[in-house]
Amino acid sequence: MVLEQDILPYLQWFLGSSDTLGALPRFLLVALGVALLGLLGGYAVAAARHGILRGGDLTYRTVSAGFRELFEMSPRRIGALAKLAIKEAWRRRVWVAFAVFIVILMFAGWFLKTDHQDPAKLYISFVLTATTYLVLGIALLLSAFSLPSDFKSKTIYTIVTKPVRSGEIILGRILGFTAIGTILLATMAICSYVFVVRSLDHTHDVELSTLKKIAGATGNEGRTSLDAYHRHFIELDVEGAENQALSNHGHYHPISRRGENIRVGQAENFIRARIPQWGTLRYLDRQGTEQARGISVGSEWTYRSFIEGRSQAAAIWTFENVKPPSYLDDPDIPDEDKGLPIGLIVRVFRTHKGTIGKAIGGSIQVRNPETLLTSEIDYFPAVDAKVDEQTIPRKLTNIADGSEIDLYEDVIQDGKLEVIVQCLEPGQYFGFARPDCYLRMPDGSPILNFVKVYLSIWVQMVIVIAIGVSASALLSGPVAMLLTVSFVLLGFFRDFFVGVAAGTEYGGGPVESLVRLITQQNVMSPLKAGGAEPIVQGIDFGLQGIMLSVAQVLPDFSAFSTVSFAAYGYEVPAERVFQDLTTCLAYIAGLAVVGYFLLRTREVAR
Amino acid sequence: MSQETVVQTRSLSKVYRDFWGRQKVRALKALDLEVHRGEVFGLLGPNGSGKTTTIKLLLGLLFPTSGEALIFGKNSTDVGKNERLGYLPEESYLYRFLNAEETLDFYARLFDMEPAVRQERVDALIKQVGLDKARKRQLQEYSKGMTRRIGLAQALINNPELILLDEPTSGLDPLGTREMKDMILRLKDEGKTVIMCSHLLADVQDVCDRIAILHQGELKELGRVDELLTVADVTQIRATGLSDDCQNEIRDVINRHNGEVLQMDNPTTTLEELFLSIVRDSEARPGRRAASPTEQGSAPQSDA
Repeated sequence: MVLEQDILPYLQWFLGSSDTLGALPRFLLVALGVALLGLLGGYAVAAARHGILRGGDLTYRTVSAGFRELFEMSPRRIGALAKLAIKEAWRRRVWVAFAVFIVILMFAGWFLKTDHQDPAKLYISFVLTATTYLVLGIALLLSAFSLPSDFKSKTIYTIVTKPVRSGEIILGRILGFTAIGTILLATMAICSYVFVVRSLDHTHDVELSTLKKIAGATGNEGRTSLDAYHRHFIELDVEGAENQALSNHGHYHPISRRGENIRVGQAENFIRARIPQWGTLRYLDRQGTEQARGISVGSEWTYRSFIEGRSQAAAIWTFENVKPPSYLDDPDIPDEDKGLPIGLIVRVFRTHKGTIGKAIGGSIQVRNPETLLTSEIDYFPAVDAKVDEQTIPRKLTNIADGSEIDLYEDVIQDGKLEVIVQCLEPGQYFGFARPDCYLRMPDGSPILNFVKVYLSIWVQMVIVIAIGVSASALLSGPVAMLLTVSFVLLGFFRDFFVGVAAGTEYGGGPVESLVRLITQQNVMSPLKAGGAEPIVQGIDFGLQGIMLSVAQVLPDFSAFSTVSFAAYGYEVPAERVFQDLTTCLAYIAGLAVVGYFLLRTREVAR
Repeated sequence: MSQETVVQTRSLSKVYRDFWGRQKVRALKALDLEVHRGEVFGLLGPNGSGKTTTIKLLLGLLFPTSGEALIFGKNSTDVGKNERLGYLPEESYLYRFLNAEETLDFYARLFDMEPAVRQERVDALIKQVGLDKARKRQLQEYSKGMTRRIGLAQALINNPELILLDEPTSGLDPLGTREMKDMILRLKDEGKTVIMCSHLLADVQDVCDRIAILHQGELKELGRVDELLTVADVTQIRATGLSDDCQNEIRDVINRHNGEVLQMDNPTTTLEELFLSIVRDSEARPGRRAASPTEQGSAPQSDA
C-alpha cells in the first residue's frame, strides 16, 4: 500500500510542532487572510456604489450584523430548512443515483475478473471508486442548483421575509443535503459490502488424487480443485481438525476432515483490516554507508528508492515501542507461536530476467539497535508488490557466534528493534518506502474499516456540498456548478496545481505552458517567445501568486481518499479519520461564513 | 387610531443598474412615507410606477440606493423586523411539493415556534382560510384561489402586526375577492397594520384608509381615501319625493314644491377617476406633484 504522507498523531497534526505548522494555526491564518480580502473587496464595492463614507458604514454594519446574527441562529430554523432541503432532494429524484449504482453493480460482475491475483482489491476499489464518483456527482448537482432554483421560482422571498438569518439558509441547505447524501451513501455501503462478499464467495474440492504423505513429517499435502481461476495447496495433519487451504489470491479456506471426508469451507480473509505499526527507514548504499535514500532506477515517481542486490546495500527499518505479545509467558503456547509478525512489501526491479518463474531472493535480519546484536540471515523469495506476511521467530541465532538468542530479551531493547532487508541477487534491485515494512498487530474489523472508508467518502461529499451551496448563494446554478467542479478537479490534482503555482513543475506557469503548447516547444529547454519572455513570465508571476492563494483554500481530495487502505486490506488509522473529520468541519465553518456574506450582501429580488 | 408610526421611508430611492454598474432604471425617487399602526394603506400606481419596488425595499428584498426605510424603527435590511411582519407576495411563491399542513408547519418553524403552539396555529389558520378539506393535498394540485389562501395563511402564521399584501385579490373570483377584502378589514379590526398594493382600484377603495399613488417612481398623491375622493368645488344634493317635472330644475323645484332635502354635501369621485386623472397629469407634467382631480373639478359622481 502506498502512503505518501505520514499520518501524524492528531494533536501534533492539529496544533503543529516546532518544524510544521499545525492545522489549527494554518486554518486561522487562512481564515484571517480570506477575511481581510473579503473585507477589502466588500468595502471597495460598497465605496464604489455608495461613496467612501457610506460604503464604510455599510461594510461595518454588514460585518457587525454578521457577528450578531451568529448568536441569533436557531437550531429549529436550521432544522426546518434542512428538512426542506431533504424533501427537495427527494423530489428531484436523488434516488436515481442509487438506481444507477445498483445497475452498475448488476453488470459489474461481467467486467471484473476474478482471475486477478487479488480479486478483493479489484472489487473493493471498484465499488468504492464508483460510490465516490456517484455521490460526489449527486452532491454537486443538489448543492449547486438548490438556492438558484429558489431564486428563480422566487420561493426565497417567503423565506427571507421571515426572521431567517442568511447563515441559517446556508447551514440548513448544507445539513439537509448532507443528511440525504448520508442516507444514500449508507445504502450504497451496505449494497457494496454485500456485493463484494457475495461476488468473492466460493469454495473448492480437494483433489484426492494429489494427496500424498509429507516427506519427513506426519500428515498429507495436495491441492484443491481449480475454481474461480485459482487453486490452493493444502497440508493436512493426521488429526485433520484445524486445517487450512494455504493462502492464495488473498484468502484461505478452512478444511474440516471427518475420516475420509474432507470438506473445504467458504473463502475467508478476503476482506482484511491489517493494523500496521510503522517504523522509520534508512538505507545503506553498496559500500555500506548510511544514506537517507536508496538509488533511483529512473522512475519519475520517487516514492520508493532502491537497494542493489549482492552488495552491502540494505534497507533498515527501526521500530519503537515494540511490545512482546501478552501470552509471552504462557507455558501452554509453544515458543514457535510467540514470534513477532511482520509484513513486507517488496518492489522488485530487474535489470535482467534472471531465472524465469523463480522469485528474486532476499534476506531479512533483526538487530538490536544498541548492542548491534544481529540475527542469522533468513531467506525469502520476493514476489513483486505482494504483501509477504512473515513471523520473526522468538528463538534466533546470533550471526556472530552462532549462539541462540531470544528476540524479546536480547534483540529488542527498550522497545526498539531494527529489521534489515537486503537483495541477494546481483544486478537486481529491491525498492522500498517507509510503509513497506511494518509490525503486524492483530487485524481490525473489516466492517468497521469499511465504515471508516465510507466516512472519508462522506467527508468529500460534505465538502462538495458546502462549496456548492456557498457558491450558489451568489452565482447562478450552472456557474456555481462549474466553480464547484473546478474546485473538485483542482482538489484531486492539488499537488500538481501547487507545483505549477510554486514554479516547481517543468514548463513554467500557465501562460508559458500555453506558449510552449502552441509553439510546440518542449518543457525542458528555455522558453523562446520572440523577445516576449519577460512579459510571459511576468504574467505568470502574477497568476502564480493568485494560484498559490487559491491553493491555500483548495481541499486536497486525493488525500481524503482512503480507498487504497480498504483495497489493499489495511485499516484506516483512527488518527486519519479524525483529521479528515476535523478538516471537513473547518471547511463547513469557513464556507458557511463565506456563503453567509455572499447571501447577505446580495439583493434577493430583481 | 393610534398615530404610532409602523413604517417610515425617508428619501427612499432605488436605481437599478446593469452588471457594469451603469444606471438602467430609476425605479423610485426620494419617497417619503409614513404608515401608522392600525391603518390599511394602499399603494397604487400603473405598471413600473415603483410600488412593487417600494414593497421589496420595505421587506429588505432590495437595498436602497439612497435614503432608508424603517419598519418598527428598524432598518429594512434588519432581519429582526421580520418577527412582526407578514408578507403575501403577488404570486404564491411557495414550495409546491409540500401540502398545506407541511407548508404552514415549515413557515411556523422559521418563527421558532414551539411544537404545541405551531400545531395549534397551523390548524387554526387552515380552518380560517377554508382549506381544511385540502390540508393534505400538495400545493401543486391547488387552484389559484386556494394557492392565494394558503399564501395568506403563511403570511399570518406569526400573527403579525404588519402585513404587506402584494396584489391580494389578483386571480381571485368575486367571492374570493370579497373574502379577501373581509379578511383585510378583519385584520384592521384586530388592530393590525396592512400595506397593500393593487391594480384593482375598487378593492383599494373598499378597504384602504389611506393611499399613496406612485407614477414613474415618484409619489403623486398621498392622503385619506375619503378626503382624496371628495370633490371640493361641487355641491351634491340628494333628494327624494320629487315629481318628474321638477327634476329638470332641481334646485328651484325643491324650494318651490317643499321637497325634503336629505343630504347636501360635496360629492365624491371614484378612485378610478382619481387614479387616471393623476396618471394623465403626471404624464403631461412630469416631475411635479399632480393636482388633485377634486381640485380641478373633474367629473364628480352624482347620486341624484
